[in-house]
Amino acid sequence: MADHDHDHDHDRTVKPMVDEVTDFEVLEIALRELCIEKGIFTAEEHRRFTEFAEQIGPTPAARLVARSWLDPEFRALAIAEPMTASKEVGVDWLEPTGFGTPSDFTAFEILVDTPTVHHVIVCALCSCYPRPILGNSPEWYRTPNYRRRLVRYPRQVLSEFGLYLGEDIEIRVQDSNQKHRFMVMPMRPENTDGWTEDQLTEIVTRDCLIGVALPRAGVTTNVVVATRPAVHPVGE
Amino acid sequence: MAVEGGGSPMPDTDVAVLREIVAQNQVWPRMAAKYGVDNPIPPWKTSLDGLCDALDHCASDADVPDFRARREEEDALSATIYSSLPHPESQLVSLAHSLISRGVITESELIQRLSTIRARLEG
Repeated sequence: MADHDHDHDHDRTVKPMVDEVTDFEVLEIALRELCIEKGIFTAEEHRRFTEFAEQIGPTPAARLVARSWLDPEFRALAIAEPMTASKEVGVDWLEPTGFGTPSDFTAFEILVDTPTVHHVIVCALCSCYPRPILGNSPEWYRTPNYRRRLVRYPRQVLSEFGLYLGEDIEIRVQDSNQKHRFMVMPMRPENTDGWTEDQLTEIVTRDCLIGVALPRAGVTTNVVVATRPAVHPVGE
Repeated sequence: MAVEGGGSPMPDTDVAVLREIVAQNQVWPRMAAKYGVDNPIPPWKTSLDGLCDALDHCASDADVPDFRARREEEDALSATIYSSLPHPESQLVSLAHSLISRGVITESELIQRLSTIRARLEG
């Protein structure tokens, strides 16, 4: 910063910060440094993966859906060749980090909702998630509570997110795995006639792309749910 | 708990240095409230994500857990001896526990490194 005179009040203009070194902050650095010293990975690799984690988010997936709503040809491409359609919104599944990292993924599929079929994704085994196009998974997605109960009681779990679907709508729970990732393409909601791609992208939230919410005009935020531990999480 | 990729972290294994960190309870929700900070996740979270990704992609001879084993161990540990911790603190401490249990790092070298880093950050 060049000319920084003090005619303003830092107490009012600087956001508060945690002004002590926490054990967790120190632990993260320690693990990282020890792994680097032992040659498990390099500092450069860590930096690049961290940058990847910082820049990913659900916007490419939201844009893919919005474009599909507006452009029938793109919609057909998204269904037939989802990895090609992903590239058109800036995500290369074969090299998701953009720096030559071998990809885990061999398949990506877009699950298209209809008036009578609603999709929702889960990873019952661990927490596989379409990170390159949807960003980091929300905390609740990782919990054994969501992972186990969604498969058994999908209507009940969806209702806990505020999504109540009629009995005439079939719910398909799609289990992800390390080699096969999914996202949901919800139906375009009412009251969005004449909207631009940017406007539509805003209402396709992360929750809509997982399938625990439906897009609605005027709703651009995710549902906040209390994360609960499983009652009998291990060794059942 | 069945663990692929060799080794088993035995959730009931006690790692004293991690137990002490848990006892200090400097978890982000408490620290954020104490200092009036409103960001919901701690600033080290993306670096932890980078650390986990780097481990998942490494080709080391050490007994580093693969993605699935890492997540299984995290689930088991987060639900038992680290159940008092919120996420991502539980993820971080569980990872440390896994790496120590597998012999990738030793508890004594971690203790030494924690001390060195704290001195550096507070210096």
